[in-house]
Amino acid sequence: MASETGAEVVIVGTGVIGAVIAEQLLDEGHSVLMIEAGPRVSRAEIVENFRNVPLGAKGDTSASYPPRPWAPHPVADDKPEDQYLQLTGPDSYAQTFVRYAGGSTWHWAGTCWRLTPDDMRLRSLYGVGRDWPFDYDTLEPFYVRTEHKLGICGPSDPAMQWPARRSAPYPMEALPFSPGEQRFTEVVKTLGYNNIPVAQARNSGIPYDGRPSCCANNNCVPVCPIGAKYDAATSLARLERKGANILVDSVVYKVETNARNKIEAIHYYDQHKQAHRVTGKLFVLACNGLENPKLLLMSADDRNPNGVANSSDQVGRNMMDHPQLTLTVTTREPFWSGVGPVVNSGIIETSQGAFRSEYAGAYFRYNNFGRSRFVTFAALKKGLIGKALDEEIRRMTACTADIVAAHEILPDPNNRLTLSDKKDWLGLPKPAIHYDVGDYVRKSSEVYSLPIGKRIAEAMGAIDLKISPKFSQSKHIMGGTIMGEDPGSSVVDVDCRAHDHENLFIPGGGAMPSTACGNSTITMTALAIKAADAIARQMRGV
Amino acid sequence: MKIARRIALTASLTFGALASSMANADDFSPELIERGSYLATASDCIACHTGPGGKPMAGGLPIVSPVGTIVSTNITPSKPFGIGSYTETQFANAVRKGVRADGTNLYPAMPYTSYSVMRDEDIQALYAYFMKGVKPVEESPSETRLPFPMNIRALMMGWNLVFRNDKRLAEDRRKSVEWNRGRYLVEGAAHCGVCHTPRGFFMQEKTDRYLSGSQVGSWYAPDITSDKMTGIGTWTQEDLVTYLRTGRILSKALAAGSMAEAISHSLSHLADADLNAIATYIRGVPSTKTAPQASAPTRFGQGKTANELSGFRGQGFANGTKGDQAGAHLYSANCASCHGYNAQGTKDGYYPSLFHNSANAGDNPSNLIAVILFGVDRETIDDHVFMPPFGDQPNAINVLGNAEVALLANYIFKNHGNPNLKVTPEDVQVIREGGPRSNLLAVARIGMGTGAVLILLLTTFAWFVSRSIFKRRLL
Repeated sequence: MASETGAEVVIVGTGVIGAVIAEQLLDEGHSVLMIEAGPRVSRAEIVENFRNVPLGAKGDTSASYPPRPWAPHPVADDKPEDQYLQLTGPDSYAQTFVRYAGGSTWHWAGTCWRLTPDDMRLRSLYGVGRDWPFDYDTLEPFYVRTEHKLGICGPSDPAMQWPARRSAPYPMEALPFSPGEQRFTEVVKTLGYNNIPVAQARNSGIPYDGRPSCCANNNCVPVCPIGAKYDAATSLARLERKGANILVDSVVYKVETNARNKIEAIHYYDQHKQAHRVTGKLFVLACNGLENPKLLLMSADDRNPNGVANSSDQVGRNMMDHPQLTLTVTTREPFWSGVGPVVNSGIIETSQGAFRSEYAGAYFRYNNFGRSRFVTFAALKKGLIGKALDEEIRRMTACTADIVAAHEILPDPNNRLTLSDKKDWLGLPKPAIHYDVGDYVRKSSEVYSLPIGKRIAEAMGAIDLKISPKFSQSKHIMGGTIMGEDPGSSVVDVDCRAHDHENLFIPGGGAMPSTACGNSTITMTALAIKAADAIARQMRGV
Repeated sequence: MKIARRIALTASLTFGALASSMANADDFSPELIERGSYLATASDCIACHTGPGGKPMAGGLPIVSPVGTIVSTNITPSKPFGIGSYTETQFANAVRKGVRADGTNLYPAMPYTSYSVMRDEDIQALYAYFMKGVKPVEESPSETRLPFPMNIRALMMGWNLVFRNDKRLAEDRRKSVEWNRGRYLVEGAAHCGVCHTPRGFFMQEKTDRYLSGSQVGSWYAPDITSDKMTGIGTWTQEDLVTYLRTGRILSKALAAGSMAEAISHSLSHLADADLNAIATYIRGVPSTKTAPQASAPTRFGQGKTANELSGFRGQGFANGTKGDQAGAHLYSANCASCHGYNAQGTKDGYYPSLFHNSANAGDNPSNLIAVILFGVDRETIDDHVFMPPFGDQPNAINVLGNAEVALLANYIFKNHGNPNLKVTPEDVQVIREGGPRSNLLAVARIGMGTGAVLILLLTTFAWFVSRSIFKRRLL
């Protein structure tokens, strides 16, 4: 059994990566201690937080997850001097991860696009970015396991699958399209594009893994009120039944190495600023691509002067996301989004092609959020009242839509996380991130993605089109502990094991050498399961 | 845990000599095997004889009882581990008399006193199915190890002598063929009275209260007589058939607990003719009320749409769940996402309304508390209704304490059901622990039936003996 001071395997973080690895190791009979910086809060409370948020603030996912003083995370309405992330550069690497038990899958949409074989060979095929150290067929079985572990629904028709190269069916059929998605699908078909069902970690029509089926609250972001969408919080009680010890409100601030440069212990502060030390045989950092590099850099010692796992100087570099632009379309005819989950389909084929030697691929998403909360303020600003106001809200709810163009980005060592001299409540350095989406992305928006987006808007019968002036982030943190075969240019190996420390694993988005255009969680989780297999072998001494 | 329905039925018994011509197992026709498969479904064998996540009929389900845990056995045709070496006579004796091939007695957790009404030709069909239609599973579940004296299976011989009813179910020629078929199924394979008929001091079914409602562990099996107020006398034939097939009658009633199990495994798979036969018989069961009743609403039409959102919205979760609006706030946080902010449910009834819902009316609060704590899992041919639990299960959507469940239940009773029902946190704890505590009742509920008193006497005796042994050892 895991105690509060040690276990065979110590996992920092209780999000999807930590939870998936913990369960596999528990099933193999190992003791597991999980350490979470933030609080453990009931779904009921988060749901009611959301419902109590004023309409104008509901778009801010963090509003339903107020951070604890000791575990700050980005909050939209913070004053500049209070902000957790210290952001510099031409583009803003603004994120919305939460430091709560269960992690940021609490408020993900559940979208699960696999990478394609080409997505993993950008350098070989197009001379840009980095190749993965293994191919798609190596990753594929871990995708299948992820799909079954998280309960990912997707189409059974190969023509609707992305990519069609897969070794097993989805455990559940895809969800049906909303009226707006059906119409959008027909419209883009006239342009030659296929809007296909998105695979998503959501129970479609049947219960799965002890969770109910989706009942279409259209509330996936910021919280699924009924647990129909997978989030790691749904698995924590099960992990505890299997013997996991979960410490919350415990902020890890140091990874301690020993004379052989293996990890000896980790140190954390409790919410009373008391320091504690935890030992183990093997350590997993599962705090995703922003907190992981921050912790590694904070842990610099005499043997590792640039930070733990950082002999390559790549820790904190290559920060990536999916830079996105939103096209807000007003149409004459009603589309009606909002039935079903908030993201339910997409045009992903536009992410592929020989053009990627020059500019980024893009993925187009018809957002299926119910529109009323977005349009109500615009209707109020028009000075309408009574029935006229109701009618205008109804019209704009039906006749407006957001088309999001999400781009891939290349790993750039100058897109870098460092330790700020600003300190948080515990006195720990805040993360500073310099970010520039780069010419590869900008050129795509100029010659490729926005032109496509405008043609789609026109085909939808747009009478008005507004395009976001700047790239925003998709909140898909990738790259900060990049994977590769060469210890000189990468942080972790093919199993997300630190090149520098044989008993330290750093799985998740940070390891991804390329982003492609689809949301990162399914690939992060596939890497986590791959890492779990490696950890299990290592624990058995194989 | 299958506790509730596994009670020995002390109804009529119609075994005698089996048909003299015992067929060779290889001679069974596909039609006979198919009919046996159907009868096995009607008898719900699979519910108990399949372990959690296990192979069909391979046993291994722990049936928890106050006298210890009984583990169901492998009844696949495996010779070393199952019943593959049973002759048809041995099989018949096990199913109808509770006697194994080796002559030892089964515990009445196996409802052989119910199955005893089954006719020879049906027993033969069952035998054919179990020998030829079930895949052998070459593994043995763990042995049942009850504490002394319950581990002495021979005790059951005495129990059988005293309590086994050896009366054949005679055809009632005044009634229709359909009615007689219904009675055969209801009293035999489907054994409805096991749950729905209240029991007397000796755990016998009170025949004068036949099907008039009884507590079954955490749940309450309601009055299903034709009483128009307390029973289901207002239901049409179609209502009842639909309910048995789907577990759901819009704006009336929904099956949960052991009734959901019965519908999932058994009733939803029965032929329309048999469901109609069951309904015809059940609908003819007279009310057990002797005195005229004052007019009162049935448990099907009570409550209305309502919400108290304005009382707490904007206060925050911690504050809102403290004051007078606590129940309403708990409803909003835990229930409204599926059942609607007005408890209106969905039009298709997958998410039922909480008004016009029998769980929230009537005069017994058990089912609302139980459904909150344990959820619903009911799978039929076309549908899988699943409500997650709110107890302390690993998959509980939220873990609600006794006080929270009581607040929530009282809010629902007040607004959407019978406003006279009120429960306390202590009441919730009772349901959480598996229902009202009564040794006699609890023992009977796992199938010890009318033998409970004997068993209790033996237990008491054994307790004195073991105490004296213990004392001697101390000395």
